[in-house]
Amino acid sequence: MVLADLGRRINGALSSLSRAGTLDDALLDSTLKEICTALLESDVNVKLVASLRTRVKAQVKAALEADKTGGGRDAQKRNVVQKAVFDELVGLVNPGVEPYKPKKGQSNVIMAVGLQGNGKTTTCTKLAVYYQKRGFKSCIVCADTFRAGAFDQTRQSATKAKVAYFGSYTETDPVVIAAQGVEKFRKERFEIIIVDTSGRHKQEKDLFAEMEMIGEAVKPDMTVLVLDASIGQAAEAQSRAFKETANFGAIIVTKMDGHAKGGGAISAVAATQTPIIFLGTGEHLSDLERFAPEPFISKMLGMGDIQGLVEH
Amino acid sequence: LFGRLTGSGKVLTEADLAPVLGAMKEHLMRKNVAAEIAERVVEGVGRELVGRRVAGFKGIKAEVRLALSASITRILTPKTSTDLLLSIRSKRASLSPAPYSLTFVGVNGVGKSTNLSKVAFWLLQNGLDVLIAACDTFRSGAVEQLRVHVSNLSLLGAVRGDGGSGRRVELYEKGYGKDAAGIAREAIAYAKENKFDVVLIDTAGRMQDNEPLMRALAKLVAVNSPDKIIFVGEALVGNEAVDQLTKFDRSLRDFSASSGLGAGRGRGIDGMLLTKWDTVDDKVGAALSMTYVTGQPILFVGCGQTYTDLRQLRVGHIVDALLRD
Ligand SMILES: Nc1nc2c(ncn2[C@@H]2O[C@H](COP(=O)(O)OP(=O)(O)OP(=O)(O)O)[C@@H](O)[C@H]2O)c(=O)[nH]1
Ligand SMILES: Nc1nc2c(ncn2[C@@H]2O[C@H](COP(=O)(O)OP(=O)(O)OP(=O)(O)O)[C@@H](O)[C@H]2O)c(=O)[nH]1
Ligand SMILES: [Mg+2]
Ligand SMILES: [Mg+2]
Repeated sequence: MVLADLGRRINGALSSLSRAGTLDDALLDSTLKEICTALLESDVNVKLVASLRTRVKAQVKAALEADKTGGGRDAQKRNVVQKAVFDELVGLVNPGVEPYKPKKGQSNVIMAVGLQGNGKTTTCTKLAVYYQKRGFKSCIVCADTFRAGAFDQTRQSATKAKVAYFGSYTETDPVVIAAQGVEKFRKERFEIIIVDTSGRHKQEKDLFAEMEMIGEAVKPDMTVLVLDASIGQAAEAQSRAFKETANFGAIIVTKMDGHAKGGGAISAVAATQTPIIFLGTGEHLSDLERFAPEPFISKMLGMGDIQGLVEH
Repeated sequence: LFGRLTGSGKVLTEADLAPVLGAMKEHLMRKNVAAEIAERVVEGVGRELVGRRVAGFKGIKAEVRLALSASITRILTPKTSTDLLLSIRSKRASLSPAPYSLTFVGVNGVGKSTNLSKVAFWLLQNGLDVLIAACDTFRSGAVEQLRVHVSNLSLLGAVRGDGGSGRRVELYEKGYGKDAAGIAREAIAYAKENKFDVVLIDTAGRMQDNEPLMRALAKLVAVNSPDKIIFVGEALVGNEAVDQLTKFDRSLRDFSASSGLGAGRGRGIDGMLLTKWDTVDDKVGAALSMTYVTGQPILFVGCGQTYTDLRQLRVGHIVDALLRD
């Protein structure tokens, strides 16, 4: 994964810190500057990066002050810096909230929302495949009546995935379809019912109102924001708006197989305090990976585990 | 030595400029200009201003703003003609007129098919017959998506107010799983035979690092030598704009050159279509990143999901939005 690029640069900055002599303010500043540049080039929100820099600095300063009497060695001081950076990075992708866990033997309704073209429809099928493989009886409801060919897209990919689906070529009200589909599948005792919706954006109030109505009609157990890894500085405002209206409980970041480092999506996590649960890593139905914050950052920085940082 | 503070003015040094330029760079990044491009743009402004005489400290900021505005305007102003209708008409007026062809390329989900349909609507309105070639033979529903657009467009075309003779719009498709380059070639031949003015070639979205898929696209270009290769990018994209465009352009050039096929060898991107303009408020930096990287013009801006949501780029608007606090 290309996130390794970002990891390599942050790591590079941290290890040049280890090679240098005495850790003074100038060295700390230049290291942080390099790390922040790497984050900015990965689309992490400009304001977030600025506050990360301030907090790491404060933490390091505090740790060094406390250590004054002990006259700590430079190696220890550098560990303090590394640890602070690592914690801040984990903090960026870890809001400390547990996502909804689907339960067997009952209907779990999952509704996908997001900006146009971010990968909702593709991800819905991937999710259905994922849960089907784990023994959940899974299905998809296509509540996108707006996009040309939307139902054909669902029909074809669900057929390929051997997953049940529901939709209509004639009904134009997505709220009606969503309600009908979910009711039908609930009756048929499907365990994972995934509702796909049209792409929308915060600037169109009507589209947001429609999303709210679909939500009211299907009462999702979990709403998922599907977000493209390449999104830049618009991520924060859009994800906030979706949070306010749809109150999504999880994020799936798509197109991580490309070159994008997903900093925009990470900023969405920070802005909405909502965890990422999966990464989309390709156009095929099995291209879906589970996401967990700490292993993710460790992997990104090319480290075995966090302990590696704390001890030397 | 004594020149530095003569009269009311002051000669700008790098040290004077550094903080103002740094703030400008951050400002541009907040507007979604890619970091690397923001850096290079303010560097250019810095080079231009060092040694210039200004009045007082307040003068520095104003001077930088002015120079930045001029620089952005220069970057965004098209260097080649953006009059597509003119190019189409002059090709169609030649002795053995072949149809004018445009290929839409770009990463997944940016709006290629939708905006291709908007361009079709615009061409129909301008009295041209349009054939749409369904060369995305991979993504589920891609062919049906275009079929819906073509049927909508024929309805719209038929109610044109010029004596009822609506323009023709048709879909050329061979279903899924086939070779896109071959379908494009057949479509162009079909268009020539049936006297269509323009062929719009839809292609599958692909990641710029995916070499097999980039080679396949280069083959389509090499074989069919479209009159224009339009890169479709979204206004939402951040730093990736740079990598997407650099690699699409380079892969198309390199792979089409080495494919040894046809007249379209060594071709790169001719212009851009920037979509989802309506979703970014004033964070319009992608426009600057994309034109900076390619030096090619933004031919259209997509600003919504209906057929009329297609605009020409207004350079002044972007400059204003980028500089606004
Ligand atoms: N490379 C890659 N492509 C993806 C991934 N997820 C989705 N895509 C592609 O992105 C494009 C858009 O995906 P869709 O699933 O149609 O997106 P959507 O959000 O449903 O779009 P709308 O319904 O129009 O808003 C398609 O070409 C998908 O194949 C991914 O993880 N990697
Ligand atoms: N808000 C907004 N949405 C747009 C615009 N242009 C396209 N879209 C939407 O973006 C989504 C994806 O558009 P498509 O045309 O299918 O994108 P594509 O690039 O052809 O996608 P693939 O072929 O799957 O790679 C659809 O929901 C479109 O309605 C635009 O200018 N503004
Ligand atoms: Mg969809
Ligand atoms: Mg398409």
